[in-house]
Amino acid sequence: MSASAPGDETAAENSGGHVPPSTEPGAASTGELAGRLAALSVCTPVAGRVLAMVEVPDPVFSAAMVGPGLAVDPMRAPGTAVSPIAGSIVKLHPHAFVVVAGDGRGVLVHLGIDTVQLDGAGFELLAQEGDAVEPGTAVLRWNPADVEAGGRSPVCPVVALDAGSDAVSDPEPVGRWLTAGERLFTWA
Amino acid sequence: MAEVTVMVPDGVGLHARPAAVFVQAAARAPAEVTVGRPGGEHVNAKSILSVLALDVGGGEQIVLRADGDGADEALAAVEKAILDPDAARG
Repeated sequence: MSASAPGDETAAENSGGHVPPSTEPGAASTGELAGRLAALSVCTPVAGRVLAMVEVPDPVFSAAMVGPGLAVDPMRAPGTAVSPIAGSIVKLHPHAFVVVAGDGRGVLVHLGIDTVQLDGAGFELLAQEGDAVEPGTAVLRWNPADVEAGGRSPVCPVVALDAGSDAVSDPEPVGRWLTAGERLFTWA
Repeated sequence: MAEVTVMVPDGVGLHARPAAVFVQAAARAPAEVTVGRPGGEHVNAKSILSVLALDVGGGEQIVLRADGDGADEALAAVEKAILDPDAARG
């Protein structure tokens, strides 16, 4: 008497007991995170107006090649950029930083476009690499008006790293004004 | 396993945009691809988070390794993405 149903386990049946743990073919090989993770609220690092990623004036960001997300067109005044999530600052440059949550998900904040060329001028770091941060923890000070006066866009992409294109859920509507630390989108 | 050492061109290094082009080139390859500094720890070249955290600057030497199907082709593609990101973005 057997209740087994041959053929139900197509992946395992001829594996010789060596079943790869990934449930989504290709997910591991593209660097995407596998499995189900809790919804993560990603906050805006700067005060400003919500922009769609496609509106970012840079072909690599706008094509979501760095990853999916949203952008914020910042208020043109001296301001503080804050952490978008709780976690640890794994990389901190004057013009960009990456925060990684406890579950391994990382968010990139890029402060303006081509601002790497400023070599830190106009940016004051308020945190250090390795610091534990909460959403809203101050990371650096800058002035988007100065960036713009220098001929560069101060638009800030906020990017979910190693995420599939469906990672961004419930985004704040394009055009809405937010203050730094308010929820921008949810990483489902 | 195939391996090649490449000098990242002078300039910003493997930061957001060049890193994205590099990671996309690696992700297109069926082979496993890793990147690291000479003698250093290697990370998954298909992970933008890992590559950004590696923080490779312009003028630095990096070692690329590929293993599996099309390893040589994978190395050629990621090397091209490093040396000429604008062309590789295509």
